[in-house]
Amino acid sequence: MQGHVLVVEDSELVASALSVLLESAGHRVSIAGSVAEALALSPAEPRSLVLLDLTLPDGDGLALVDPLRALRWNNVVALTGHDDPDTRARCISGGCVDVLVKPVPARELVSKVATWLG
Amino acid sequence: MSRVESITKPLAMTGTTTPEARVATLEAQLKEAIVEIAELRARDALKTQFLANISHDLRTPLTAVITHGEILRDGILGDLSPRQMESVRGIINGGRQLLNQVGEILTYARGAANQLTIVPTRFGIREVLDQISTLNAPLVKKKRLTLVIDAEPDLPPVMADREKIAHVLANLLGNAIEFTPTGGRVWVRASRASLEKSEQIASVLVEVGDTGVGIAAEHHDLIFREFAQVDATPSRPHHGTGLGLTIARKLVELHGGRIWVESELGSGSRFYFMVPFEQTD
Repeated sequence: MQGHVLVVEDSELVASALSVLLESAGHRVSIAGSVAEALALSPAEPRSLVLLDLTLPDGDGLALVDPLRALRWNNVVALTGHDDPDTRARCISGGCVDVLVKPVPARELVSKVATWLG
Repeated sequence: MSRVESITKPLAMTGTTTPEARVATLEAQLKEAIVEIAELRARDALKTQFLANISHDLRTPLTAVITHGEILRDGILGDLSPRQMESVRGIINGGRQLLNQVGEILTYARGAANQLTIVPTRFGIREVLDQISTLNAPLVKKKRLTLVIDAEPDLPPVMADREKIAHVLANLLGNAIEFTPTGGRVWVRASRASLEKSEQIASVLVEVGDTGVGIAAEHHDLIFREFAQVDATPSRPHHGTGLGLTIARKLVELHGGRIWVESELGSGSRFYFMVPFEQTD
């Protein structure tokens, strides 16, 4: 299932790798590099998904979960460099539907994104 | 003379002075030393924090390198020729290896800064042994080693941080494989540790053994120390961060357990660690 993926990620290097990957899989990709950029977004269309980095230059990525939900971005998946149980628990209690540790193998990310959009 | 030297050699400077003056000098030097130690500790903590920050930040560009490599390898942008595929696989493997090493430095730095926490769950040690054995199967095959995994039947589950115990096992087994020549034997055994008088709680004893090069007795403490490798010569036949055993010790100690080695040069090594079945705190 193809859809709209919002990548909230402050590293241009990582964001551009993710867009190449997800666009090749047929999705439309938008990028926000900060909390402020993400908050300036318009409401989500049907079949949309957010891949959310946790450490953003102007704040904690998890603080975006509720405001994004208000914009109907309901599917928020944390994409983090911290591979520890504490971070995982914090993301799930913060409202994320899943937590992935970077770098997520390319094929795995494509298949998971398809599942969440489905 | 540095401040440290002046502390360690105070009597040489005290030739003609009175005992009171000598006491005053020593007290002044002691105060200076206390200040110096506090400064060094603060600087050490800063360096540890720097190491944690930089190793975390290194993961970001590595993530981009590996993801782009996998996009090419998986044919997402079109098919590659066999030679192109070989080259892209080299990029990915190099990136993954670097990522592991960066991860080890990050774990070390967090441990040194007391930023590692234990999240205990109840699990069977046998499952972790099997998982680590599966992960290492390709290397074991490549070196034509025999790997034996053996767990005493009916071991009670342990209450521990599963990922951290798996990390300890991965580091010990990784070393065993690395330092055992082709055709050798490597084994991992888990059993119930016999209770010593001082111990209130039963523990699981895990042994990781090999028929490899072995470690001389005078190096048994050194190998658990940070940044230490027994062979630190420029040719260093064995690579790595040199932090594997330091991390293993830290993770075992965070569980209230202990880790040690029995070995002689030329007669293989047996690393042991004990983790209580249930935590007391």
